[in-house]
Amino acid sequence: MKVLLVEDDATTSDYIVKGFSEQGHNIESAADGHQGLLLATSNQYDLIILDRMLPGLDGLALLAALRANANQTPVLILSALSHVDERVKGLRSGGDDYMTKPFAFSELLVRAEILVSRGQAAPVQTHLQAGPLQMELLTRNVTLDGQELMLQPKEFQLLKYLMEHPNQVISRTLLFEAVWDYHFDPRTNVIDVHIAKLRRKFEELGHGELIETVRGAGYRLRQRH
Amino acid sequence: MTLITGALLFTLYRQLVNEQQHQIDQHLETEKQRYIQLAQTVDRRSFAAQIRAADPKSVLVAWRNSFDIVGSLSLMPEDIPLLPETVEFPILSGGPDKLHILTGGLVITRYGPVLIATRTDQLATLIKKFLRAAVTAMTLTIVLTMALGYLFSKAILRRLVQYNRLAQRIERGHYDTRLPISWRQDEFDMLAKQFNRVLDTLEDNLQAVRGVTDNIAHDLRTPLSHLRIGLEQLKDKPSEEQAEKAEQLIEELDFCLATFDAMLSLTRIEEGQQQLDLQDVELSQLCTDLKEMAELMAEERGQTLNLTLGQPCVLQGDKYLLFQALFNLVDNAIKYAGDGAAIHIRQNGREVVISDNGPGIPAESRERVFERLVRLDPSRHHQGTGLGLSMVKAILSRHQAKISLEDNQPGLRVIIGFQ
Repeated sequence: MKVLLVEDDATTSDYIVKGFSEQGHNIESAADGHQGLLLATSNQYDLIILDRMLPGLDGLALLAALRANANQTPVLILSALSHVDERVKGLRSGGDDYMTKPFAFSELLVRAEILVSRGQAAPVQTHLQAGPLQMELLTRNVTLDGQELMLQPKEFQLLKYLMEHPNQVISRTLLFEAVWDYHFDPRTNVIDVHIAKLRRKFEELGHGELIETVRGAGYRLRQRH
Repeated sequence: MTLITGALLFTLYRQLVNEQQHQIDQHLETEKQRYIQLAQTVDRRSFAAQIRAADPKSVLVAWRNSFDIVGSLSLMPEDIPLLPETVEFPILSGGPDKLHILTGGLVITRYGPVLIATRTDQLATLIKKFLRAAVTAMTLTIVLTMALGYLFSKAILRRLVQYNRLAQRIERGHYDTRLPISWRQDEFDMLAKQFNRVLDTLEDNLQAVRGVTDNIAHDLRTPLSHLRIGLEQLKDKPSEEQAEKAEQLIEELDFCLATFDAMLSLTRIEEGQQQLDLQDVELSQLCTDLKEMAELMAEERGQTLNLTLGQPCVLQGDKYLLFQALFNLVDNAIKYAGDGAAIHIRQNGREVVISDNGPGIPAESRERVFERLVRLDPSRHHQGTGLGLSMVKAILSRHQAKISLEDNQPGLRVIIGFQ
């Protein structure tokens, strides 16, 4: 994907550019708001990652200018302002997602991919597959090595999310947001216990290794190639 | 006081003088009438005899006969006005008090002008005595007032000086200083009491701030120093261990950040900076979601989590914040009630009750748990920011909801009542 990063902090900017480049994505960066707007309006990007507080033109002002120009490129706002109302403000201004600094690169990447894939009219999926796992979205039927798994609704949603992003480290925050309609940091092991339950069900069928815990980051669904 | 005494004395003096003057006037008027009558009824000789016979103690009379002056007065001063006009004049007598003051006036009778006078030196003496007494009284009053005033103001001044001294003590950082309160219960004591109350509040707040600072120091310094140690060790670690160690350090750092974020958002909610995203919230739905999210966590510890729904209730509130608050309470119950405990969520109308049968919270600590960074477990074994319940309270009070902790016999019962 082709990404535009508008970020004035050199350290953060380098970190993100390096990360996206390593993943094989094409990323350009701008260090202030005016340059960012110039690049955003003169080129076609799949995604814009936008810092809130920028020299020259403020991030939200840039976003407003972009949307006023009927530019519908997905925008992910990055900000040190972590409060819920700041988040709401960012999303209301036309942002598609909001991430607070500091962040883990893996989470940024996943969010970026989700935003880009959302923009592409993908055929409606009815079937997911990841290694020995098969999931029928319509019948909510899940099998592992052909054997049926009985899952609770939340377990089903968690697994679906992991299967949609195989081999990616998914943070607890992302999983939490995907499964529950409540945005807050639960500071608790609610995701862990759900994953543990899921993992036990896999273990019973000899596949305990399917969901991997990544310390300090989240979980990853392994997909054997 | 001196003025009042002065005014009183002056009035008294005026009354006294007026009264005496009035009596003298009346006396002279009577005598005047008597001599006019006398002149009408008797002949010149008898008139003279009567004048001679007049009692000098009561009235002094003088009548200028054709060749001499008849009466108890041997002279007739010039310029004596006609009665009722009177004049004062001195006379000499052979008696011990040689000089007398007379008050008198002329009466025109058939036989010519008659001087009628009466001794008024008693009055003069009386007035003099009175004035002397008055002056003494006034002097005494003035001296007394000044002495009392001096003592009184000295007492006030002494208290002000004392207050000032104590205030300086407080300024130097002795916040436990209190102003003394006397038995008098006067305005100064009221002031001192109010001032002491202000000091109480101030001291509480200072204590709280100090506590928070200490706790922050503990809560953030500890993971930060772990981090520092960890980073120092990281470079010496064999490369295969580095990744895992780094992940562990990131977790520590995330904990610091979470604590920091929680403090910031708590302050924003407490101080009303964060706008509530108000919408219709169905309490029963909130509790159902609550159970769904927490159920597995309870199950993990062999606990049971039950939900009882009563009268449905829809209220205006920030759904996410309310859920966060209630979730925090359930999460606490799961964390602290112990393995195998029974946890119950009950919703009925505008009330939500979360109860468990764990060890509970001793009555004396129930208020304290809502304070920032207070953890009843002094060793802080349980990971958490210590801001959870402060946050719960802040969110609920933004929703005008009351929260109370009660003994569940055994365990803890948290009651939340919405208005």
